[in-house]
Amino acid sequence: MPDESRLATADRPLVFAPKPSRAPPSSAIGPIAWMRANLFSSVSNALLTLLGAYIVIVVFAAIINWALVDAVWEASNRRECLDKVGRAGACWPGVIAWIPNLLYGLYPKDQVWRINAAFLMLVVWALPLWLPGVRSKLAIGLSAVLLYPFPASYFFHGGEQDLLWTALIALGLAAFAWVWLTTFSERFTGLSFGAFVARVTGDAEQPEESARLRARIGYAVLYLAALALAAQWSLSEVPTRYWGGLFLTLVISGIGITFSLPAGVMLALGRRSHMPFISLCSTAFIELFRSVPLITILFMFNTMLPLFLPVGVEVNRLVRAIVAVCLFAAAYMAEIVRGGLQAILRGQYEAAAAVGLGFWQSTALVIMPQALRIMIPTIVGNFIGLFKDTTLVSIIGLFDLLSMARAVGEDTTWLGLFLEPFFFITLIYFVFCFLMSQYSLNLERRLGAGQRR
Amino acid sequence: MSAPPAIRLVGLNKWFGTFHVLKDIELSVAEGEKIVVCGPSGSGKSTMIRCVNQLERHQEGEVVIHGRRFGESAAQDEAIRRDIGMVFQQFNLFPHMTVLENCTFALTWVKHLPKAEAEAIAMSHLERVRIPEQARKYPLQLSGGQQQRVAIARALCMRPRIMLFDEPTSALDPEMINEVLEVMVELAESGMTMVVVTHEMGFARKVADRIVFMDQGEIVEEAPPGTFFARPRYDRTRLFLSQIL
Ligand SMILES: Nc1ncnc2c1ncn2[C@@H]1O[C@H](COP(=O)(O)OP(=O)(O)O)[C@@H](O)[C@H]1O
Ligand SMILES: [Mg+2]
Repeated sequence: MPDESRLATADRPLVFAPKPSRAPPSSAIGPIAWMRANLFSSVSNALLTLLGAYIVIVVFAAIINWALVDAVWEASNRRECLDKVGRAGACWPGVIAWIPNLLYGLYPKDQVWRINAAFLMLVVWALPLWLPGVRSKLAIGLSAVLLYPFPASYFFHGGEQDLLWTALIALGLAAFAWVWLTTFSERFTGLSFGAFVARVTGDAEQPEESARLRARIGYAVLYLAALALAAQWSLSEVPTRYWGGLFLTLVISGIGITFSLPAGVMLALGRRSHMPFISLCSTAFIELFRSVPLITILFMFNTMLPLFLPVGVEVNRLVRAIVAVCLFAAAYMAEIVRGGLQAILRGQYEAAAAVGLGFWQSTALVIMPQALRIMIPTIVGNFIGLFKDTTLVSIIGLFDLLSMARAVGEDTTWLGLFLEPFFFITLIYFVFCFLMSQYSLNLERRLGAGQRR
Repeated sequence: MSAPPAIRLVGLNKWFGTFHVLKDIELSVAEGEKIVVCGPSGSGKSTMIRCVNQLERHQEGEVVIHGRRFGESAAQDEAIRRDIGMVFQQFNLFPHMTVLENCTFALTWVKHLPKAEAEAIAMSHLERVRIPEQARKYPLQLSGGQQQRVAIARALCMRPRIMLFDEPTSALDPEMINEVLEVMVELAESGMTMVVVTHEMGFARKVADRIVFMDQGEIVEEAPPGTFFARPRYDRTRLFLSQIL
């Protein structure tokens, strides 16, 4: 029934007054309401919740009892542990005694600082990427990926340097110094390092040409200083057969991860290329490496590669493993990137072409950023998989974290101690993988801000 | 007339596979002229307009822009293309860049202008399409009409001499169509050479110098709006007009 008072007359139209919004009823918000809606919405749901909670509590209690409450913390061999608590509690002294080996393998004890220094260098190198007010972030990131490996490998391996090697190490050191110099000058003066040098050494009135020249002289001085430093730098050689533990795992997976992304991007572009030869080669490579298990590839590279190389050329076992891991990871990454590319609408290419961009520009600036962003969860998932897959290098005789853990129980003092070291490295793997996946979620949230469809 | 026409399509033929999509297209657009292209869906309007800036390659015939023929050298093709702006039905803004970055992007990477200068140009065009206040937002935070106006601003930033529009209002909710058409009318009044594929016959009547009617890959007839609406020569045109008016 229409309300009489709201009927329109010919000269007076109805005035529409929207109803004011009200807050939702209190039964719909808050933790109690959430639990009622999600955990106890029906009898069967409530039973499942209780059963689940029971199982979680029992399992956790058992683990905590074993790992902490009943555990032995001081003993000089496994016998003592067994005499104290039998198998009811963990025997941690064995793991503690082996921690240096679990982390660094057989790396000489008095040289371990080099590994720590190199990892610290990486952290310090990348730190400006997270500082506000730094503009050269792309250059800093690229320098870390491309130039950090030189000083890092000298830290790790040491030994004689030839001329080229010294020059490359110096390049790395100069880049490292540049990263922090430019970070400071950008934060405090707003000028990049080069512009800062030009400003300090001459007045602003002078023409651009001379400013550029003075900036270049600044870079040259920086490089010469780094060269002097690199030539002085001398570390004893630690052959790769002494490398091991977490350190080795990080070296292999770190290189694999950094290599796989750019290589995967190129392979994916190659596979989609209109040039038949390039497309065929990329496809063949991808399919070949994807259809063979990593363990087989490692094995092939380890035993077959030397047969194909000319006599006298010897490739180090670690290098062989790293090459195998890189190629395998690149093939997988290529398919992930291709998946991302397929999600980009054709209109994006056309819009880029219509404003005058060429193929490489539109790929690098329009298509790839979007494709990679969509694929972040899958890409990071692949990184995590790769990190764990590096355990397979143990079958070609490299002592990664997993094989070092196995070695604890083969040590005569701690004979049979397997569970505890495995528990310990499980925690290590968990922490690394968890951090990676959290970082990926964080990245997704930040990059996705305001851009969701 | 001394200056060559802005656009000249000569004997244009195109096939998708074996499907003959454009048949002997002949069209000449003078500098500053506004052409509206209409016709039933699938008649080849998009394909024709996309041949004008060579987003689609044709197999026979010539596309000549301001007297320069496409296909003579890669460098010249790029230069010709920079004179032509395009606005798409689906906007095709870059979703990972802000509105401002969408506009400055090509100025920075194609014309290599410094950032400040590029931003000044971009803001002036965003003002022209009346959305300077949205410059820092991402495209997907805007309404369809706003997105399409950004797309127009983005194309204008490159200072094109010719603007192509492929059904710019077809993906819009009805209440947003006018805000886009108004911007296009102003652009037309400023003297831009425009080729517009649209079924907005009000716009055609107001702005077009000539209306081109296409069916099955052919230009059936072309005439000034007055003649076109009042005395279409072909039965096909009459049928089409009776369906959309
Ligand atoms: N990339 C393509 N490949 C094959 N056929 C196409 C392609 N693009 C368009 N077509 C076909 O060409 C014809 C004309 O398309 P189009 O130019 O988009 O028509 P309109 O814009 O007039 O609706 C249609 O029949 C369409 O199916
Ligand atoms: Mg169309």
